[in-house]
Amino acid sequence: MAIQSPYVTADVIEVTEFPPLVERYAIRGVPKTVINNSVDFVGSAAEAQFIEHIQRAITPAGS
Amino acid sequence: MAFLSDNDRKEIREVFEQLHGDVKLVYFTERESPLFIPGQGCPTCKDTRMLLEEVKALSDKLNLEVHEFVADSELAREHGIERIPALVITSDTVKGKVRYFGMPSGYEFSVLLSSIVDASQETAGLAEESIVALSGISTDVHIQVFVTPT
Repeated sequence: MAIQSPYVTADVIEVTEFPPLVERYAIRGVPKTVINNSVDFVGSAAEAQFIEHIQRAITPAGS
Repeated sequence: MAFLSDNDRKEIREVFEQLHGDVKLVYFTERESPLFIPGQGCPTCKDTRMLLEEVKALSDKLNLEVHEFVADSELAREHGIERIPALVITSDTVKGKVRYFGMPSGYEFSVLLSSIVDASQETAGLAEESIVALSGISTDVHIQVFVTPT
């Protein structure tokens, strides 16, 4: 998705190498995905579902 | 000692036959020192560099740039790199940013290989509906996937 859109940054983070992130992002299970610090989920997501998560993350609250 | 066995190399070469355009791997690491101070520095930086060099050697379409995080801090800032080891996968067709933090080992190694292949293609293997949805996005989206070695 980051390949397709200039607005998307996609990071994979090997969390055992960066222990402070475990606490900062409340990681209890992996893979954990966090989008714009507003939407998060644990486990995999189908492509269409992932797009929905992105859209939810960029939609202002209350709209 | 090499990270990849002869068999690994053979399989990865087959995967890389799908490479279409050139892919650049921009790797940020620490300055390598013969001193090892426990609890300090970047324990996986050197291994990650060696692994990437082995991968790079398996296709003419791959380029590897190695940068020191501190010495090349301006470039690191440009790529938004705040921690190492960090790898940025770029190509003429990558419009956003694709980055790996930490050593891509175990399952993540196969994810790295498929990201390299995707970065060399025009469409990144996405469904038409996803491409349409993504083209409608005009605000920054930062996806972080936290993983552990498997």
